[in-house]
Amino acid sequence: MFEPKRLHPIVIVLNIGKRIKDFVFTFIALFFIWNKGEGGKLVLIAVSAIAIIAIILTSILSWLRYTYRLEENELRIEYGVFVRKKRYIPLERIQSLDITEGILQRLCGMVKVQIETAGGSGKDEAEAVLSAISKEEARFIQEYVAAAKNRSVPEVEVYEDAPQQTVFKITPSQLILLSLTSGGVGVVISAVLAFLSQLDDFIPYEKLFRGVEQWAVGNIILIAIVVFAGFVVAWILALIGTMLKYANFNVMKTEHDLVISQGLLEKRQITIPLKRIQAIRINENIVRQWLGYGSVIVESAGGSARNKDGSKVLLLPLVKVQSIEQILKPYLTDYQWDPHFIPVPKRARSRYILRSWFVIVPIAAIAIAFFKMWGLVSLIFVVLFTFWGLLKYKDAGWSLEQQQLTLRYRNIVRTTVFIKKNKIQSLEVKESYFQRRKELATLEAFVKVGFGGAGGRVIDMEKSDVKKIYSWFSRDDEKGD
Amino acid sequence: MILEPQKRISEKALTVWRFSAFIKVAISWILAAVVIFFLHRFHVPLWIIVLLIAVELIFTYFSIYLIPSLKWRRWRYDVREEEIELQEGIFIVKRTLIPMIRVQHVDTVQGPLLRKYHLASVIVNTAATAHEIPALEESEAEELRRFISNLARVADEDV
Repeated sequence: MFEPKRLHPIVIVLNIGKRIKDFVFTFIALFFIWNKGEGGKLVLIAVSAIAIIAIILTSILSWLRYTYRLEENELRIEYGVFVRKKRYIPLERIQSLDITEGILQRLCGMVKVQIETAGGSGKDEAEAVLSAISKEEARFIQEYVAAAKNRSVPEVEVYEDAPQQTVFKITPSQLILLSLTSGGVGVVISAVLAFLSQLDDFIPYEKLFRGVEQWAVGNIILIAIVVFAGFVVAWILALIGTMLKYANFNVMKTEHDLVISQGLLEKRQITIPLKRIQAIRINENIVRQWLGYGSVIVESAGGSARNKDGSKVLLLPLVKVQSIEQILKPYLTDYQWDPHFIPVPKRARSRYILRSWFVIVPIAAIAIAFFKMWGLVSLIFVVLFTFWGLLKYKDAGWSLEQQQLTLRYRNIVRTTVFIKKNKIQSLEVKESYFQRRKELATLEAFVKVGFGGAGGRVIDMEKSDVKKIYSWFSRDDEKGD
Repeated sequence: MILEPQKRISEKALTVWRFSAFIKVAISWILAAVVIFFLHRFHVPLWIIVLLIAVELIFTYFSIYLIPSLKWRRWRYDVREEEIELQEGIFIVKRTLIPMIRVQHVDTVQGPLLRKYHLASVIVNTAATAHEIPALEESEAEELRRFISNLARVADEDV
């Protein structure tokens, strides 16, 4: 383990795949430019052949050059074909080791390990990625790192018996409900649309549509059925996607970490150090809220820019909101799970409704001006938005208990965010001229999550309440009252 | 609200803000002149041109006179042992509270305009947010930067 090691050769295949994927659009572009006449074809074939050979060669070379070893309490990675690079990561600095098994890796019994540090280089990728190593080795590295972080003698045996407790395991019925109520459908539909728009350049839509137009007028019902069927298929695909992603969802607690594993085809394992947890969030979309369900998200520091999963992790995908306390209390002991919420004052209601009108009322007015009778249909949306504004008003609230600030608000989904005082990075209070007249103010708390911040915001709170929270957060005693 | 923060930023900030607003306004007048020239060429009714000039005049008054002085009057800050407090905003008044232990690093920034007037801005960074105290006297900014970074170093907690 202490001498330099290479990754499994399967990495070559992975690299080739990735590079070809990067080049594919260049290839297609070249194809259209040069695919004219005999000479052009020859050039095209030659260029493609050279490119493919170059890709294969560099993939092999980069695999050959990529070595890693554990040495002097550092993970040392050396890589690079033309420019040789060395990256040494001190083990104490490592925040998390995420283990994933892609399909290709599973075929040869390998796993992919992503290593993240707190700082992060601001690049897209994790600090270091070992794309294919054996499971035993991944476990060894994990334990070695854990041991190093505990500043104990780096002996593996010490850590092996660390107590593991199961926090949560998803049940089949929860999995089904999760898939049914997830917003995955939208994702699939937009993916299909994006795909179609990509094809725009190759399929002569205009020519197609001219014929189609006439045909369509006669077959409206058929088209409606096809569109509907499309939606159903998209929904089923999304359903299966979510099911595969969250199957075997399992949360364990080791001594200092929460370990989440999930996935059927592609297995993922995410480690969240308890110390790094910045805030906990309960999200309830409107369907789930109606059924009494919600999901719990842990926000932790660390994680890299693209790998957002590293910083906002789904801890409990879907559970009865009432049972959250019971599930998490034994493990996240310092959080107050059942705070008493204080709503925003009644006089804020008109402001919540007005805000919901900002966009929709002008649109409705224009629609009515232009389409006359048909424009009145837009009034339905005005009613819907008003209802939404009222819902936001109803959901807004806050609670202050000892060292914890709890904020509840709704944008699309209802969010309840639990933040400990010592995790708040900064606190902001805003009053506009109109708020001042009504003795209201907006409160926002920022916490660190991955790159940049997140937090919570409640609009139009009672001013005296905001004052209370402000002086609670202030460390200056004389300002207390 | 509670007690306002006490310290004000340098009075010279007004001059700097007015000057940079003046540059913006000058550019907008040049653009307006071009537009008016073309409007005139294409025989657009006169009242549109008059309206445009009126808007420009109001814009000039607001950005050179009114906004800088309102902004300056509102801007307050306080740097205490354990926290930094800021107040800013014209229509929406924003108060920010940053505990000293959350401060990651402090920068001072000085553009050409600020340098001419011996001013500098101090930017306080936490792990999640960045806060600017604009236009302080150079020496004061430097002192503040040192003060904050000393205090920030003492308090070393988990992120």
